[in-house]
Amino acid sequence: MVEAATGPVADPARGARPIDRIGLAMRASHLLALLLLAGCLVFALVAWRTGDVFYLRLATEALIFAGLALSVDILLGYTGLLSLGQALYFGLGAYMSAVLLRSGWSFAGVMAAVLLGATVVSFLGGLIVSRVRGVYFALITFGMAQVAAKAVYNTRELGASDGLIGVPIVKIALGFTTVSSDSPIGFFLFVLGFMVLLYLALSYLLDTPFGRILIAIRSNERRVPFLGYQPQRARLCAYVAAGIVAALSGALYPMLRGFVSPELMSFTTSGNAVITVVTGGAGTLVGALYGSVILTALRSVIGSWTSHHLIVIGLIFMAVVIFFPRGLIGVIRARLESWLVRRRTR
Amino acid sequence: MIDYLQFVLAPQMVTGLSLGVAVILVALGLTIIFGLLDVINMSHGEFYAVGAYLALALGAAGLNFWLLLVLVPLLMLPIGFLVEKGLIQRVFNSPDRHTTTLLLTFGLGLVIEETLAVIFGPNTQRPPTPIRGAVEVFGVMLPNYRMFLIGFGLSVVAAVALVIYRTRLGAMVRAAAFDRHMAASLGVPVGFVFAGAFAFGIALAGLAGVLLAPVYSVFPTMGRDFILLAFTVVIVGGMGSIAGAVVAGLVLTQIQAISSLFISPVWSDPIVFGILVVMLVVRPQGLFGRLGRG
Amino acid sequence: MTPPILEVSGLGIAFGGLRAVDDLSFRAERNAVTTIIGPNGAGKSTVFNLISGALSPRAGKVTFDGRDCTGAPPHRMRTLGLGRSFQITSLFPDLTVFENLRLASEVLEPRSRWLLPVSRSPIALARADALLSRFALTGRADELAGALSHGEQRRLEVAMAIAAEPKLLLLDEPTQGMSHGDTEETAELIRSLAADLSVLLIEHDIGLVMTISDHVVVMHQGRKLAEGAPAAVRADPAVQAAYFGHA
Repeated sequence: MVEAATGPVADPARGARPIDRIGLAMRASHLLALLLLAGCLVFALVAWRTGDVFYLRLATEALIFAGLALSVDILLGYTGLLSLGQALYFGLGAYMSAVLLRSGWSFAGVMAAVLLGATVVSFLGGLIVSRVRGVYFALITFGMAQVAAKAVYNTRELGASDGLIGVPIVKIALGFTTVSSDSPIGFFLFVLGFMVLLYLALSYLLDTPFGRILIAIRSNERRVPFLGYQPQRARLCAYVAAGIVAALSGALYPMLRGFVSPELMSFTTSGNAVITVVTGGAGTLVGALYGSVILTALRSVIGSWTSHHLIVIGLIFMAVVIFFPRGLIGVIRARLESWLVRRRTR
Repeated sequence: MIDYLQFVLAPQMVTGLSLGVAVILVALGLTIIFGLLDVINMSHGEFYAVGAYLALALGAAGLNFWLLLVLVPLLMLPIGFLVEKGLIQRVFNSPDRHTTTLLLTFGLGLVIEETLAVIFGPNTQRPPTPIRGAVEVFGVMLPNYRMFLIGFGLSVVAAVALVIYRTRLGAMVRAAAFDRHMAASLGVPVGFVFAGAFAFGIALAGLAGVLLAPVYSVFPTMGRDFILLAFTVVIVGGMGSIAGAVVAGLVLTQIQAISSLFISPVWSDPIVFGILVVMLVVRPQGLFGRLGRG
Repeated sequence: MTPPILEVSGLGIAFGGLRAVDDLSFRAERNAVTTIIGPNGAGKSTVFNLISGALSPRAGKVTFDGRDCTGAPPHRMRTLGLGRSFQITSLFPDLTVFENLRLASEVLEPRSRWLLPVSRSPIALARADALLSRFALTGRADELAGALSHGEQRRLEVAMAIAAEPKLLLLDEPTQGMSHGDTEETAELIRSLAADLSVLLIEHDIGLVMTISDHVVVMHQGRKLAEGAPAAVRADPAVQAAYFGHA
């Protein structure tokens, strides 16, 4: 067991690059993301051929809320923090976007402003919430979002309980082409591309030493300071990253629907994002995307029978928590992962 | 000046006090459940709503208010017992109990809220006030029903404290809260105590619903609006502390009542939340220690 | 003359009236094995918590590597060159053995690699690989740390403590629950470590303490009872009475 030599010693039996389970899990997520992307493209093709508008708009909305779910997953799935108020940042992005678009700002200007605004606000919020964890984190994020939602609800300049309507159509210049937010197929493909970028950015972030510290915090926070890191600071960074992702996604909402309402900031929206992540599979990133698509589809199917679809959604959610705590994609990804391992070792 | 005190400030404080007593009842249930089971019951506000709707429906069916005051909490007991045995216990031993139970009860709250909307409709309803009129004390008009609410609610809180700190049953509960394995080996039926405590907490929330229904009206999302205040009371008082819930409940609702008078009702929520934040930063364990610990 | 790697003077902390550590002073010399012994509840682990920053002392001073580090937080002590293992194994149970070691080695990398993929952290990856073979965990590299046997977990615990090449290593009962064979191997390992760094050890196995320690500090009820070379401490009548009395 004891070997006198210190310093790096390559082990010939293992080869230069060891199999990294977290990296492998991420690869399994990428495969599933690719599958989803293909599915979305097929859907877009069919919708475009049949001249559908309704389902394209609905699918675009599902993708926008998938962005909110991604932000919840960074906190819940990777850092082990349950945020019950992530709609605060989604709403922040949506309201900033609506106000700025109404004053004639360009798409790039709006997104830059939202990025800046979300960074500042989530940093300030993070200074508070990163001091606590566990149930306190859940309750304080819940409280913070409730207070913000009430404030918006009571602010006449932001349309109070009615929200803001009449957000103009925006042209998005992409260099090779220009997408108009009122083109169902064009804006769907744009949002799809945007979510792919968010997903790739987050999976990159989680594969860095910073991202691995977040995963370590979820696993055993008390050990982390003895590795030379401050969990509180890492939690703050994760919270800011999540806030930015939520706000950027929210900024797309008024472009799709032409209005914003206080509902976007409410507990219902935060809660839906948590349901989406847990049902899809926390700690997989791609589960958030699948969850959002599946739940939106479910809502529209059940919604055609009854207006009380939340009962069904709630029951499904409870069943997932009890019987499949890893969520739908969590279960599938675990299979895929062990298949990848077997393929590697063969 | 005297007029202001007589006609504005004092009535406002009495209103705050009656709200405070109801919040204490709700918070007491939350804190007992947390102290004993280590579970955050996110559906607690919805059980408060269930209590209010039961009172509304049974009252409309002709049952006397005084009977409801006893009957509704009794009806809540089996509901709470079944929820604990059938749902909470299923995930009780999962690796991250806090998050899992929080998620589960959050889903349950959603289902209850929607079910209430299906059965009773989404509109606001209000049962008749059981005691009318008001008494005049030092020139201050005090509505009789609110005075009753305060007196009755505080007696219930005192009774709960007496049971927990002065009876054999209470000793078993405190033992189970301190160390469930130790308590089990001493012959405390821990499983029964847990389910019983959960049911009891739910019954207290239901009682608060009965008491507040004639004052604040009844609507499906009523629990959601109430729960932030109740959670704040629990955290400020110290998670799992009974004395803490009482003190924090009274203080916070008075701050809310007075601040809404001097500043604006719009600011009462941010102020309460600000207190919560300051408390979490300065003294995260709350004002008082946890049940079963000193 | 270089100062000792660690000097503790007048250290004290109390928990609700109980003086867990009281007016404790000792030194740990460089490239030596200093061992703290004492009966259960003597306050040994509390001393580790005070030195490593898990607790802040109420009284006294901790000087590490010539620098006053009293009350410095754990991450700061780690950066200054202190590594520690825990009496109750504290790993990342749902991460692999390799990832545990890589995480523990990551501080060796320059901060500029903080936002690059982990595959671009060559120093940490090589260090983790080296630790795997040094601690005979290579075959278990891809197992989850929580799935290891007790002995393997104890080895991983020590490997993580030395991963970031500390100047001083605090080992809290590294042989706890180990078989006789494993204990001997661990003793050999600790001896070999002292060639490059300094070790402060808490240990119950008196045979082990006597063979590997350069200096022994005996604690009893939060206070220092005696200190000195192993043989001298063993011969001390006060130590005999308080600690070896029954043996």
